[in-house]
Amino acid sequence: MDSIEAVRLLRERLSDEPVVASLGTPAFLLYSAGDRPLNFYMWAAMGMASSVGLGLAIAQPSRRVVVLDGDGAALMNLGGMVTVGWRAPPNLVWMVLENGVFLETGGQPIATSERADLVAIARGAGLLNVASADNPADLGALLDHALAEPGPSLVVARVGPDASRDLPPLDPVRLKHRFMEELSRTGHGHESSP
Amino acid sequence: MASPNADGIPQTSWWEIVYESLKAHEVRLVAHVPDQVLAPLVREIEADPFFEVVRLTREEEGVGVLSGGYLGGLRGALLMQSSGLGNCFNALGGLPLAYQIPFLIVISQRGRLGEFNPSQVPMGRATPRLLEAIGIETVSLERQAELAEQVDQAARTCFATSGPVALIISTLLSGGKRG
Repeated sequence: MDSIEAVRLLRERLSDEPVVASLGTPAFLLYSAGDRPLNFYMWAAMGMASSVGLGLAIAQPSRRVVVLDGDGAALMNLGGMVTVGWRAPPNLVWMVLENGVFLETGGQPIATSERADLVAIARGAGLLNVASADNPADLGALLDHALAEPGPSLVVARVGPDASRDLPPLDPVRLKHRFMEELSRTGHGHESSP
Repeated sequence: MASPNADGIPQTSWWEIVYESLKAHEVRLVAHVPDQVLAPLVREIEADPFFEVVRLTREEEGVGVLSGGYLGGLRGALLMQSSGLGNCFNALGGLPLAYQIPFLIVISQRGRLGEFNPSQVPMGRATPRLLEAIGIETVSLERQAELAEQVDQAARTCFATSGPVALIISTLLSGGKRG
């Protein structure tokens, strides 16, 4: 399946869920599938999207928090996967686009292209609802399940190496303000905040 | 919790002052990697339901966790040894500095006064200059008498100006790690 199709399947299921998108391909695809203020696009700090999602899930326990990651970024922060599994926020949904390459830097192969198995690794790290899909029907069902059941969930979308050059705004501070304003407009913040 | 010092004057330990200041500034999310000097502070925090605690695998994750927490409405602090600071720099540049996301960074100093382990020296000695190089306001906590005021002002600066502030716990204050 094309990666843009996989991201559209996520996008059409979202209402008030914030999404943290890893830099490069995941962020560009999420923007391409339809911009919204609750999309937090990262422009650097590769590997950190899942850690940002963990902190956000702890701060916003009454709604689902989605991380849109790439397989290269997930491999770069495997330690963070163990941390997510241990802290186990039930409202975190982590979707990994697995194309087996570093797409933005020229398509260099990474470990998932041959031997590394993200599903087995995520299960071993303690994540829940862990599964992969290589077609839209299966992926849609996995996303429905992950968005409804207690997590932390991890869904691997096996996708082709299609890219997007649809760039989100290159203004980090504006992205932050827009995201935080929409979070507070649509929610109640941390349940124990004054 | 205050215990008398040699002159019989009640003295509060450095970590009790930091703990109280974190609470006073509504810093509720704490991410940490274990350290011997920070251990009593972490014990107190983990025993207090006021705090949400994340035990990290590696220090860099904490930069992400606290950035996400702040976006969601929680103020945070990252607790680690100076050796772990080196693991954080790309994330510090790409998240809190680029996006102007504040949190406190509490660093237990290794590699300087009182150090017993030569392998801790290069990173420990470079710690303040590395923080300065990337543009993070840094305060060295050395004397008990100024501690409460320093931590309070650091927290106010951090959250009012939307940038991380580092507090280095000097071995002069903590006694350091004994070999």
